[in-house]
Amino acid sequence: MASASERYSFSLTTFSPSGKLVQIEYALAAVASGAPTIGIKATNGVVLASEKKHKSLLYDGTSVWKIESINPYIGMCYSGMGPDYRLLVKTARKAAQSYELMYGERIPTVQLVQRVASVMQEYTQSGGVRPFGVSLLICGWDDDKPYLLQCDPSGAYFPWKATAMGKNFISGKTFLEKRYKDDIELEDAIHTAILALKESFEGQMTPENIELGIVTKDGFRRLNVGEVKDYLANVL
Amino acid sequence: MSIMAYNGGAVVAMKGKDCVAIAADRRFGVQLQTIGFDAERIFRVSDSLFVGIPGLATDTQTVHERLRFRTNMYELRENRKVTPKVLSSMVSNFLYEHRFGPYFVEPVVAGLDPKTHVPYLCAFDLIGCPNEPEDFVVSGTCEEQLYGMCESLWKPDLSPEDLFETISQALVNACDRDAISGWGAKVYIIEKDKVTVKSVRTRMD
Amino acid sequence: MIKTTRFSYPEVENGPMQRHFSPYTDNGGTIVAIAGKGFAVIASDTRLSSGFSIYTREQPKVQQLNDWTILGCSGCWCDVLTLKRLMEARIKLYRHEHNRAMSTGAIAQMLSTMLYYKRFFPYYVSNVLAGLDEEGNGVVYSYDPVGHCEKSTFHAGGSSGALIQPFLDSRVRALIQPFLDSRIGNKNLTPDAIPKEPLTLDEALRVVKDTFISAAERDIYTGDGVLIKIVTPEGVREESFPLRHD
Repeated sequence: MASASERYSFSLTTFSPSGKLVQIEYALAAVASGAPTIGIKATNGVVLASEKKHKSLLYDGTSVWKIESINPYIGMCYSGMGPDYRLLVKTARKAAQSYELMYGERIPTVQLVQRVASVMQEYTQSGGVRPFGVSLLICGWDDDKPYLLQCDPSGAYFPWKATAMGKNFISGKTFLEKRYKDDIELEDAIHTAILALKESFEGQMTPENIELGIVTKDGFRRLNVGEVKDYLANVL
Repeated sequence: MSIMAYNGGAVVAMKGKDCVAIAADRRFGVQLQTIGFDAERIFRVSDSLFVGIPGLATDTQTVHERLRFRTNMYELRENRKVTPKVLSSMVSNFLYEHRFGPYFVEPVVAGLDPKTHVPYLCAFDLIGCPNEPEDFVVSGTCEEQLYGMCESLWKPDLSPEDLFETISQALVNACDRDAISGWGAKVYIIEKDKVTVKSVRTRMD
Repeated sequence: MIKTTRFSYPEVENGPMQRHFSPYTDNGGTIVAIAGKGFAVIASDTRLSSGFSIYTREQPKVQQLNDWTILGCSGCWCDVLTLKRLMEARIKLYRHEHNRAMSTGAIAQMLSTMLYYKRFFPYYVSNVLAGLDEEGNGVVYSYDPVGHCEKSTFHAGGSSGALIQPFLDSRVRALIQPFLDSRIGNKNLTPDAIPKEPLTLDEALRVVKDTFISAAERDIYTGDGVLIKIVTPEGVREESFPLRHD
């Protein structure tokens, strides 16, 4: 006889007696065991920071990235499963382009998040699929304002001033709650993000094993290894 | 006879100083027979944004309804008003979606940007090729006559009153030389915080 | 072995073939004429074109027929030339037969007859005839290609006819007999906005210039320059000005 929780755990669309969809809970568990990701919204921009641990000494980490740009003003990062993330990046880029084609202007960040979230929601209710094993952090800049939103496997999305996802996200959030100020500037926010990552970082932090991305009024870009190195030198 | 000229009708729009005007005749006919003189071919999209849809009357109504659907969905989804530029883009895309079985209309978008109040004009062909000039746009069965009138009468930076006079003269005199346009006209003067609608009397033959 | 040359006769082998010849071409051009009390002006642009190419920028389409009548003629240029040649011959014959020059009205009637004579293979031209009548007042006659004739006081014909005519309707007033009380001209104006004085020659010239400048903006078959012929009881004089060259 299967245990009570297992009895409801295989059908994606069946609620358990306590009102939960356990497959989605499991997806969140996959996220919670993923690599930590930090996002902080400053007055003049947003920073995304993520841990990119190398699995082996032989691993070449300079050609795959966790932080991706969706259009010139929107960037995205994740905690959880890499392959799932890349599908969502592709979906998001297509959504951004088709919006531009249709309306002749850039997609607002919130619109993009809604579209990605609705795809993620579809995967919680369709047959023959599983939910995405990722949570996304999406940052953008439109109409003189920075945006930072998190998007979960359930399709739920949250606007944040600052947040942490992935492994040790609770302590990450606690750290950010203590350090965050409403008038924080981007340079400060980058430092804070690195410090937040450092909280739970095992081993030496190097320009190769973390990634940083920023969005400002000039657009989104991933910081190159040299820039990350400079920031790390200031922090450590 | 061309399907575009089956029902007859014309639309013209002009830029002025901090204002735009859009005007259309009111005839509804079937080839040379006049059926009515209360046709509406200019539609309000938002406070200071209008679209004029001359061409085949059934398509005028269908295109209006389908654009209304799209603009309503946009405003609900994005919780903001459509701007003239966005509407233009939507109209263009909508028409091009029917590239190989088009709606027989050549719409005109006229309005002020809701934030900056900058005047905006755009005209399309029936498959959505946009044309955004700095002075005036014309469309419909007396297009040539309208071009001649507008080219002669239009000046930059007209006041709302002068713009009304100019666009009315352009439309009415152009329609008088077109057997399937006329029978009254409606003129919309769009300003920052008001829209004036005027009915213009014309010869009824 | 004898080598034989083989000829091929595709006309026979491939069955019947059809060749096309189009006798008409549109060489563009615009004519505007305005008549007033004691004068008539008639003007044409000077561009001669075919499709997207320009044959010449210096070909006026107005022709003086006698001391008080001028013909403006545009459309298929070969028909224009032929029609003009035949008209000049018929006017000469009239001069010899009647021992006096033709009146504008007589020329107008003759032109109509000549056009209708070719009812089933028409001259592809739009004609505007302007001149002075027996009282010395301006008069304009306009035609369709098969000879329908209308007497009026202003007309725009040719490639920009549709662009210019409504403007003339709204601006030019017909204050000469027999149009004094008619509804021609100054259309869609309130009664107090209609000028009380008759149209002057200077006003007419200004309207002609304005219309050509406007038409050249939108019609690719109109441009390069304008030649205006001004007929008064004192004689015929010319004026010209340039238009856009693109």
